[in-house]
Amino acid sequence: MDHDSAPPANPPRYKLRLFITGSTPRSTAAIQNMRRICAEHLQGDYDLEVIDVYQHPDATRDYQIVATPTLVKVLPEPLRKIIGDLSDSERVLAGLNLAQEP
Amino acid sequence: MDRSFSPPLSQAHFDDLLERLREAEETLDAIRHGEVDAVVVGGSSGQKVYTLENADRPYRVIIEQMREGAVTLSADGTILYCNERFADILGHARESLIGREVLHFVAPADTPVFAELMAHGPASGRSAELSLINADSVGVPVNFSVVDLDMGQDSARLLCGVVTDLTRSRQRSHELAAANARLAAEIDVRRRAEESLEVALDAAGMGGWDLDLAQGLIHGSKRFDEIFGREGTPGPWLVGELLARFLPEDRPAVQAGFEAARRVGSIEFELRIERLADGARRWIHVKGRVHRQQGRNGRLAGVVSDVTTRRMTEQQLRQAQKMEAIGQLTGGIAHDFNNLLMVIGGSMDMLEEHMPGDERSRRYFAAARQGVERGALLNRQLLAFSRRQDLRQEAVCIDDRVHSFQGLLERALGETITLQLVEPEARWLCTTDPHQLETAILNLAINARDAMPNGGTVSISTRRVVVDSERAQSVGAAAGNYVAVSIADTGEGMTPDVASKVFEPFFTTKAVGKGTGLGLSQVYGFVRQSDGFITIDSTPGQGTTMTLHFPLTDDPEQARAKDDAAVTLRGTGSVLVVEDDASVRDIAVRSLGDLGYTVFEASHAQSALDVVASGVGIDLVFSDVIMPGDIGGMELVQRLRRSHPAMALLLTSGYTGQAMADQPRPADVQLLAKPYTRATLSAAVDAALEKARARLRDPGKPGV
Repeated sequence: MDHDSAPPANPPRYKLRLFITGSTPRSTAAIQNMRRICAEHLQGDYDLEVIDVYQHPDATRDYQIVATPTLVKVLPEPLRKIIGDLSDSERVLAGLNLAQEP
Repeated sequence: MDRSFSPPLSQAHFDDLLERLREAEETLDAIRHGEVDAVVVGGSSGQKVYTLENADRPYRVIIEQMREGAVTLSADGTILYCNERFADILGHARESLIGREVLHFVAPADTPVFAELMAHGPASGRSAELSLINADSVGVPVNFSVVDLDMGQDSARLLCGVVTDLTRSRQRSHELAAANARLAAEIDVRRRAEESLEVALDAAGMGGWDLDLAQGLIHGSKRFDEIFGREGTPGPWLVGELLARFLPEDRPAVQAGFEAARRVGSIEFELRIERLADGARRWIHVKGRVHRQQGRNGRLAGVVSDVTTRRMTEQQLRQAQKMEAIGQLTGGIAHDFNNLLMVIGGSMDMLEEHMPGDERSRRYFAAARQGVERGALLNRQLLAFSRRQDLRQEAVCIDDRVHSFQGLLERALGETITLQLVEPEARWLCTTDPHQLETAILNLAINARDAMPNGGTVSISTRRVVVDSERAQSVGAAAGNYVAVSIADTGEGMTPDVASKVFEPFFTTKAVGKGTGLGLSQVYGFVRQSDGFITIDSTPGQGTTMTLHFPLTDDPEQARAKDDAAVTLRGTGSVLVVEDDASVRDIAVRSLGDLGYTVFEASHAQSALDVVASGVGIDLVFSDVIMPGDIGGMELVQRLRRSHPAMALLLTSGYTGQAMADQPRPADVQLLAKPYTRATLSAAVDAALEKARARLRDPGKPGV
């Protein structure tokens, strides 16, 4: 699992879970888009896990995932799900409450 | 507002609902727009993932690209799907394979293996190696691995298989096995070569060695370690460790040899070591050559052998040759000297009758006579050394002889020295001259006494010795059985240098005037002439043992000669004197004339034969053995014996040993040693005439 986080003394602000299905085209696109957004906007202040639902089908139950790819923002609250390959950066940033920031 | 349809909603609740609605709409939107490629469906048997159109394309590509055959089979083994590679392996078109039973392609021998593979098994998969028959009816070895695909309870059973072509890997293992076999065979050949080399080296008494110049380590064979006397510590030698085994004075030569080997490419030397195990000094011969490794001199390899025995043999041989040469020289001088003494002594015999009677003249005359006698004694010793004395050999028991003159020995040794006679195991007989033997033992005992000025013990012992051919060669004698008599002292001993010279005439360590230097030479000549040999075992400070070896005999009757009386006998008859030296002949003629014989003379054998043929009537021919001309003394007497059997014959020589070896002397012809006196001459002539007369009386009895 990915864990590009800051030192443990200072818990990261964003806790993100990306659900994908193996190397399907949307899943691979979602992974690439997520990496780009994290690098551009979150400055390392995040904890991202990419979960392959083929490998862990039961992991979808906790967050009621109905389709992949789906990004789940666990923290900060409220919990928010963004469906799709995350190619619409504005929609993703809005979902992460980052839209207003310049 | 219609209250009945509008229960009061908190702002938060409203926001939450709004959010959920937005999320549901977004989800539907995303699905509708194809932004997702899988949906997750919760059911009684857990969450299931359904991929949408084209979502499995990457997997298809992977499966089609990979170099393994992939196949999906129904429970009864029908091919439902296969990739291009699987079709390649079988050599059929893919289209013709779908729908056919895979068992059709399995080699008949492998059908049980395949059946087991197809049976229900663990979900983790299983595999087996088997052969598939391709379109050309050729068996293709493959690894077939299958896994059950769980499609849920209501779906038919499916199996996924991966087929790996093992042809190349099999081929490679065959090649590898062949290469291994070749290597094993080569190793075997090399090991055998090494073994036979080791056996051959061992048979030659050689050790093999290999020096790594860079590491300074020497690997040696077992024999190599033995030669250097290292026991129980296998492994390589350090160069320094090996160098330390060489004697300090030889080490620079060893180092120089190895230095030179780097330049000239080979090494060979013969130097001394001190053996590790027992400290013994040994001569070793080292020979080797440089191996060139990657253009530089990396290693030296070669052989080593212990050549101590060979060197000792060579040394003994050189010693024997030297003694032989000295013997020849001494014998030659003694021969001429003898003739001179004959002339002087004979002339004095003549003069004696005409001597003036005054005391002074008589004294001078006696001194001269004594000088001749001493000269004759010296000459006898020289002749003894050069092995040219006339030995009277018979079967002798050395111990009996030693006991019979024990008293004399004890007197000679004096009071400070104890004589010890060791009782032998048996009373062996050997062939030698008993009187000379006594003289030799007495001589050695006196030498032993002189080596112990402060007293000690002389011990005399005899034993039987078997001499093998190798030892016989080194001592210059025949192989066989010998009786050895050892005279051992507890005296000051000798250095090897002195020991190598003691038998040379006139070599003496005694003060001037105390010894002639001929005693041991005489012993040496006597033993050699008896077909024996002498060994010396001496250590400075620990004493000397001289051992005389005589050929063992079983025949106690081997007597050859007996003593003659020494009384002047006047006689009658005619004597022919044959002698090339005019002075000596003159003496003999006058002496015989004085004794009453009618004397004729001849200067060589042919003229003697002429005199005999003239019919003057000769009773006795008295001839020198060695004379110039075609006919020697020996042949002369042999011819006369045949032509005139009744004629008495007598030979004389100052040089008997060699002449006797060259030509056998007729058994009944006596030999009178020069220089002879008138008394010994008269006795010999009288005995010869008497023998001839006896033969005439009883012709059947051979003369003795």
